[in-house]
Amino acid sequence: MKLASFLFKECLGTNRFKKLMLFSMFSLFMAQAGLSQQRVSGTVTDEQGIPIAGAAVLEKNTTNGTATDFDGNFEITTTGSNPVLVFSYLGFVAQEIPVQGGTVNVQLKEDLQQLSEVVVIGYGTQKRADVTSSVATVKSEDFVQGNVKDAAQLIQGKVAGLSVSAPSGDPTEGTQINLRGTSSILGGTNPLVLVDGVPGSLNTVAPEDIESIDVLKDGSATAIYGTRGTNGVIIITTKKGTTDMKSTIEYNGYASLSTIADRMNFLNADELRQKFSEGYTFNGANLQDFGASTDWVDEITRDAFSQVHNLIFRGGNATSNMTASLNYRDIEGIFLKSNNERYTARVNVNHAMFDNRLKANVGVILSEQTFNALGDGSSFNPYIYRQAIIRNPTEPVRNEDGSWYERDVYFYDNPVAYIEETIGQNRYRNTRFDFSLSYDFGDHVTVKGLYTRKGNSNIRGFYQTKDHVSTTKNGQGGFASRGTDDYVGNYGQFTVDYDNNFGDHKVTGLVGYNYEDNTNEGFWATNRRFPTDGFTYNNLGSGQGLQLGEAGMGSYKNSDKLIAFFSRVTYNYDDRYLLMASLRREGSSRFGEDYKWGNFPGISVGWRVDQESFADNWDWLSNLKLRSGFGVTGINAGSNYQSLSGLTYGDYFLNNGEWVRQLVPSRNANPNLRWEKKEEFNLGLDFGVLDGRINGSVDYYNRTTKDALFNYSVPTPPYFYGNIAANVAEIKNTGLEFLLNITPFQTENFEWTANLTYSTNTNEIVSLSNDEFQLTNDFFDEGYTGEPIQISTHRVQEGQPIGNFFGLKSVDITDDGIWIIERPDGTRVPATEATNDDRQVLGNGLPKAYYSWNNTVRYKNWDLMFNLRGALDYQILNFSRMFYENPTISYNTLDSAYDLVYGKAVLQDVQRYVSHYVEDGDFLKIDNVTLGYTLPKDAIKFAQTFRIYASGLNLATFSKYKGIDPEVNRNGLAPGNDERDKYPSIRTFTLGINFTF
Amino acid sequence: MMKNIISKAISLKLKFLTLAVSLVLLPMACTDLEEEVFSEVTESSFTPSESDIISVMASAYTPMRFVMGWQGYFDLQEEPADMFVTPTRPNGWDDGGTYKRMHFHEWTETQWQPRNTWITCFNGINSANRVILQIELGELPVSETQAASIIAEMRALRALYYSMLVDTHGNVPIIASYSDELPVQNTRTEVYDFIVSELTEVIPNLSETVDQSTYGRMTKWAAYHVLARVYLNAEVYTGTPQWEKVIEACDEIIGSGAFELSSSYSDIFRTENEGNSEMVFAIPYDQIFAGQWSAHMKMLLPDHRLVFGMQAQPWGGSSCNPQFIDSYDPNDNRLEDTWLMGDQLNASDGSVVMTLRKEMPSIFNCDFTDGFRCGKYEIEPGATGGLSVDFPFLRYTDVLMMKAEALLRTNRSNEAAVIVTQVRQRSFDDPADATVTGAELEGDTTVQYGTLAEDGTIDQPGDQSVVPYGRFLDELGWEFAAEARRRTDLIRFGVYQTKNWYNHTPQGDHTILFPIGLEERNTNTNLEQNPGYPQ
Repeated sequence: MKLASFLFKECLGTNRFKKLMLFSMFSLFMAQAGLSQQRVSGTVTDEQGIPIAGAAVLEKNTTNGTATDFDGNFEITTTGSNPVLVFSYLGFVAQEIPVQGGTVNVQLKEDLQQLSEVVVIGYGTQKRADVTSSVATVKSEDFVQGNVKDAAQLIQGKVAGLSVSAPSGDPTEGTQINLRGTSSILGGTNPLVLVDGVPGSLNTVAPEDIESIDVLKDGSATAIYGTRGTNGVIIITTKKGTTDMKSTIEYNGYASLSTIADRMNFLNADELRQKFSEGYTFNGANLQDFGASTDWVDEITRDAFSQVHNLIFRGGNATSNMTASLNYRDIEGIFLKSNNERYTARVNVNHAMFDNRLKANVGVILSEQTFNALGDGSSFNPYIYRQAIIRNPTEPVRNEDGSWYERDVYFYDNPVAYIEETIGQNRYRNTRFDFSLSYDFGDHVTVKGLYTRKGNSNIRGFYQTKDHVSTTKNGQGGFASRGTDDYVGNYGQFTVDYDNNFGDHKVTGLVGYNYEDNTNEGFWATNRRFPTDGFTYNNLGSGQGLQLGEAGMGSYKNSDKLIAFFSRVTYNYDDRYLLMASLRREGSSRFGEDYKWGNFPGISVGWRVDQESFADNWDWLSNLKLRSGFGVTGINAGSNYQSLSGLTYGDYFLNNGEWVRQLVPSRNANPNLRWEKKEEFNLGLDFGVLDGRINGSVDYYNRTTKDALFNYSVPTPPYFYGNIAANVAEIKNTGLEFLLNITPFQTENFEWTANLTYSTNTNEIVSLSNDEFQLTNDFFDEGYTGEPIQISTHRVQEGQPIGNFFGLKSVDITDDGIWIIERPDGTRVPATEATNDDRQVLGNGLPKAYYSWNNTVRYKNWDLMFNLRGALDYQILNFSRMFYENPTISYNTLDSAYDLVYGKAVLQDVQRYVSHYVEDGDFLKIDNVTLGYTLPKDAIKFAQTFRIYASGLNLATFSKYKGIDPEVNRNGLAPGNDERDKYPSIRTFTLGINFTF
Repeated sequence: MMKNIISKAISLKLKFLTLAVSLVLLPMACTDLEEEVFSEVTESSFTPSESDIISVMASAYTPMRFVMGWQGYFDLQEEPADMFVTPTRPNGWDDGGTYKRMHFHEWTETQWQPRNTWITCFNGINSANRVILQIELGELPVSETQAASIIAEMRALRALYYSMLVDTHGNVPIIASYSDELPVQNTRTEVYDFIVSELTEVIPNLSETVDQSTYGRMTKWAAYHVLARVYLNAEVYTGTPQWEKVIEACDEIIGSGAFELSSSYSDIFRTENEGNSEMVFAIPYDQIFAGQWSAHMKMLLPDHRLVFGMQAQPWGGSSCNPQFIDSYDPNDNRLEDTWLMGDQLNASDGSVVMTLRKEMPSIFNCDFTDGFRCGKYEIEPGATGGLSVDFPFLRYTDVLMMKAEALLRTNRSNEAAVIVTQVRQRSFDDPADATVTGAELEGDTTVQYGTLAEDGTIDQPGDQSVVPYGRFLDELGWEFAAEARRRTDLIRFGVYQTKNWYNHTPQGDHTILFPIGLEERNTNTNLEQNPGYPQ
C-alpha cells in the first residue's frame, strides 16, 4: 500500500496528470457534441472481389467505427463535417476515403510488406510502419510445421540474426537460441520470453496455441525491458477470441515418427571378428569374441511415435470474448523409455464495460508434464548411450539363464540392463493466474494494471533395482532417490498510456511500474539397501542405508526481487519522421547494497523517405525507411546472494571422536556486484519495391557489453575462495543482418513467396580485467575433454573471439603411428615430445554467418513449404572421433580407426586432443518441408476450414562434418564441442490435420 | 450542470483507478530490494555459540585431507619420485600427459598437482588466520586461556601448512593475518625462519595430552615433529644444516613417553588405526563423513573390486617402479605388507581374478596388470571411493628415523644403526635379518638407478656415483613407501636431481621446487616465478 500511495503522489497527484485528464474529457465531449450526420454504406472486398468480413471501418480522428458483416457489407453514420473513412483489415493496406454520404465500395490491396500490421513492442504495440528499431514478427501461418520442440523452433530460420538450433534429440530438451552473438559470459544467451506480456518460457503455452511471435532484437527496442533485454526479447502472443467473433472450435492434431538422424559407424560383430582374424588384439571391451552378434545401439533405440492434439474454443460478442484451449502432447524419444507427456490448458476471458472503457481480463494457464527419468532427475543419461557405442558387439545382451550379461571392465556396463533396471519419473505442474484491468479515459489516456501469480512444482522419483550394476557390481542393495522443487512468483505492472495527435504530430507516452519476485525451495533424499525391489522409490524409509550412513538428503530455499520504473515516448511527424525514446530504472536484489539500481535508456529515430514529396514520383518504391537506434540493456546476476557475506556448515571434522561440521564462508562476497550493461547501436533500412513484391531490411549492429559478470579468479588469500562473481569483462559483437521477402508469382491460383535471411556476427573479448581485478596473463582456458584425455579445449583471450579451440596442431604422423605436432614456431615434433606450450588456436566454434531460405508455394488448394537453413565458417571438435577413432583403446572403436591417417599409418598414439579432430562445420540443411491440402470450402458442411498436411523436420544435411549433426552446442565459453555421448539429433516425419468448425 | 457531470465523471474514474491500482499493487512491496536469506546464515546476523568454536577451527584442519585426495599431496610427493609411475594403460591414463610430465620432471605452471598443494595449503593458512582474527576481535565466546591455546594451535597448524609449501614451492608469501592485502612474496629462507620461530614460540602453549581429545590436532608433540622435519631439511631450504636441532626436537617427543613403535607394521595402516601408538599427527578420513581419500582408487585395478569385495570399482593407474621392488630384502615383510603382487584372489571363492606382474614396459604403454600395486592401506570389504583409514601424516617411527639420520650425518652411525635396527625388527621374522650396522647405513643405495628399456634392462645408466648414506635412504623408502614423502627424501639425499630411473632422466636443480601456478601468478602480480622456469 505504501507504493500505491507513492504512485498516486508521483503520477496522479501532479497537476500535469490532472490537466491530461481534463484535456481528454474535453476532447471526448467535443467529439460527442458532433456537427453533422451522414449515412454511408457499401461493401469491402479484396482484389479478387471476395468480400472481406470483419474489416474495420473507422471515421478518421474519431472513435466512431464499425466492422463489415460476413458478406463484407457495412453501414456507418458519420459525425464530422468533412468525414474521412479509414478501411482496414489485417494483412491489407489501409485506405482512407473522404465521403459525403451514399455508397462506397472499397477494394483493399493485400499488404505484402505488412506495414499496417501491429507489432508488439514492450508494454504495447506499434504499427509496423512506425517501428524505428529492429523488430521481427512471424505469424502462425509462417511457422515451421510439424513436431516442434518449443515456441522457438516455430521461427527457426525465419528471423535474421536469431539462430535457433535443436542440438539434442531428447524430447525433454528445448532449443538453443542465440541472438546477435554471445554478449554475456555468465548471462547465457537465453532471451527474455514474454507470454502475453508476462515473463514465462518457451514452453509456457503449447506451440499450436500461438498466434504470432515478435522478436525485439536491438538495444533501443529492448531497453524498456532493461533487466534481461541483452539477449533480445521474444514476445509470444497466444490465439485469442475477438469482439463480435463467431464461435469456433479449432482442432490441430498430428502424429509423428522420429528416427535417429544418423549413426556413428562403430565396428559391428562381423567387422570385429574380421579384425581378430587380421591379427588385431585388444584389451578391455574387445578382449575376445564372446560369440554373439549384438547391435547395441539398436538394442536401446526405437522408432519413436508421437501424437499431439490441440483444441481451441473461441468466440465473443460486443462486450465479452473468451478463448479456451487444451493441448495434449505425447512425445516419444528414440531411446527406450525416453519420453515427454504434457497437458496444457488455457482459459482467457475478456470483458468490457462502461462503453468499452473498462476492460477486464482473467486468464489461467495450467500444465502438467511427465517423463521417464533414466538419470536421477533427468530424462537422459548420457552414460547409457556411451555404453552402447563402446560395447563389444560380440557380447550377448543376456546370459543363458536370462540374467544380464556383464563383465568387469573399467566403466563398462550393459546399456540395456542399465535402462531396464532403472525406474524413474519426473512430474511437473505449472500454474499461472492472470488478472488485469484497464480503463480508457477517452481518446488519450489509458490506465492498466496487471497481476500474475506463477507457480511451478515438481516431484521426482528414481530407482535402480538390485539387478542394476549399482548393486550387482557396487553392492548398493538397490538405490532410490526422491526430490521435489517448488517455485512461486508474483508479477505486477501498472502503466499509464497516453496517445494524441496534433495535426501532423502524433505523440504517445507511457509510464509504468513493474514488480517481480521469485521464491524457489525444495528438498531431496536418497537411500540404499532395500529389502525388496517392490517398493521402487516409493518407500524410502524401508532401506537400511540411512542407518549405515549411506543415505543423503538436502533442502534449500532462496528468493529474489526485481523492481522497475519505466517510461517511453514516441513521436511521429507527418508519417515521415519518427522517434522513440525510453528509460527504465530497474533494481535487482542480487546486487550489492549500493549498486542495486541501474538506468537503461533507449532511443531510436526513423525517416520514411518514401513519404517525402520528392519521392512522390517514384512509383516503383513502396517503402523506404532509414532507422537508427541506441540502447542500454542489462544482465542480472546469475544467482542470489553473491554480494552477501554468508556462512555455511560444510565438511566434517573429527573432534574428540565425533564428526562435527566446519563453519566456513559460503562464498567470496562481492559487495560491489552491479549490473552488467550492454550498449548497442543499430542502423537499419527497410525497403519495398514493386508494390512490395520485393521487400526487406538490412540492419547493422554494434554491441558492447561492459562490466560483464564473470566468476573471476582471485588469489587465496586474501580471498577465501579462488573465484568471485565480479563485473570484469568487456565483449564486443558486430554484425549485419539481411532479410529479403520476394513474391515471384502471385496469381489467383498460384503464389510463390520466398524469404531469405543472412546474418553475420563477429565477436571479440575486449578485456578481461578492470581496476579491481587484474590478470597477469590476458587469457584463461575453458572447456574440458573429460577423461582420459583430461585437457581444456578452448582459450578465452583478450583481443580474440569467444570460442577459440586451443590445442596441439597435428600435421603428420610418424611411421609408428604417433602424431606429429607443428609448434607455433613452425618446427615439428612427435606428440610424445609436445608440451602444453606448443598449443595454438585451431579454429573457432561459433559460426560467422547464418543463412536461410524459406519458400511457400500455393497452388489452388495445395500448399508447399520448404525451408533451407545453414551456417558458415566455424569448426567443431568431434569428440567421437577424438575418443574412438583410435585402435589402441580398450573399448569398441569406429570403423575409421583402422584407416591410414594422412594416408600414411594407422594411429598408434594415445587418445589426444589434436587439430585432426577439429573439423569444419559449415552446413546446409533441408530442414522443414510441409505439403498441405485444404479442402474446398463446401466440401465438409460443418467445417469452415479443413486442411491435411505431411511434414518432415531435419530431413537432410549437407556438410563435410563427419559427426552426426553439425548443429552442436553453441552456448557458453566452449562452443562447438560435439560431446561423444550427446543425445543424437532426430529426423521426424509428421501427418497432421487442422480444422475449424 | 456541465461542471457537475464532469466532476462526477472524474470522481467515478478516480474510483476505478484506485480500484485498479490497489488490486494490482496490494500484494507488492514497494521498492525494497533487501535479500531474504533462508538456507544459509549471513555473517552480519550470526553470533557464534560455544559449540561453533570447534566448527570455526575445523575449517583450518579439513584442507589437510587433500593429502590422499585426487591429484593431491600424495601425487605431488610420489609421482616425481622413483617409486610410483602412472603409465598409459588400455583404459587411458595419459590424461593430457599429466603423469608423464610428473615422471619426467617436465611440469609447467599449469600442472595441477603443485597447484592443488598451493591452493589447499593457503586455504588452510587463510582459515587459520581467520580463526585467529575472530578470536582477537572477540567474535568467538572463549575465555582468555582458551583463546591463547586456540591461537597457539592455529599458529602451529599454519606452520604445518608452511612446512609443506617451503618444501614444494619454497618462495611463497608469508601471510600471518587475515586481511585484504595482496600477499607479497618471501624467500625460502624467510619462510623457513618463519616456521621455526612460530613453532618455537607457540610450543609452550600447546596441549601435551595424547588421547582422543587431541587426535588429529596440533599438539606440542606434533609441533616438535614438524619442527624436526623442517630442521632435517634445513640444508636444502637454507643451505645450513641443523642436525643437532633435529635431535633436540626428536628427543622432546621421545622423552614425552607418549608414543611407542607399533608392534605390527600393518596395524598402522588399518581402517581402525585411530589410537595407534605411533600417531603423532593423523589426518582422519571416513568413507561417510570425510571421503576424500581416493588414492587407492588410482592405484588399484577395476578387478580389485572382486579381490577385496569393494563397492567401488577402482580406476587402475599407478604402480611401482620395478627398480624399487628389486631393492627390497626378500625377507623384509614390508615388501608384502606394502605391495600387491602376483595372483589376486577373488574374495568370495578364492579363484584367481588376475595376476599382477612386476614388469612395466614403458610409461607410454603398459597393460592393466603390469606393475605391483600399493596394498599398504587396508581395503575393507564394501570399501567405497573414499577410504576410512586415517593417514599417519606424522608417526613415531619417523621421529626415530629423523634422529637416526641426524646421528648418521654427524658421525654417530652406530647409534643410528641401533635405532634403525629397532625399527626393522617388527618387519623381519628372524631378528638377525633385521640388524644393520653403521657402516652399512653410510654405504650406497641398493636401488639400481638408470632408465629401463622395455625388456626391463637398464639402457641409460646415467649418474652412477655413490649416494652418500644411500642405504639409509633405502631404509626410508622401505619403511615409508607410499606415505607421500619420497620426493622430499630424494632431494635431501641428492638423488632427485641427479639419477635416472624408469623412464626418467634428471632435468636440473631447479626441479627441486615446483613452478608457481599460472593462475596464482595471474591473479597476484606480486609473485615472481621460481628460478629455472619461464618468467
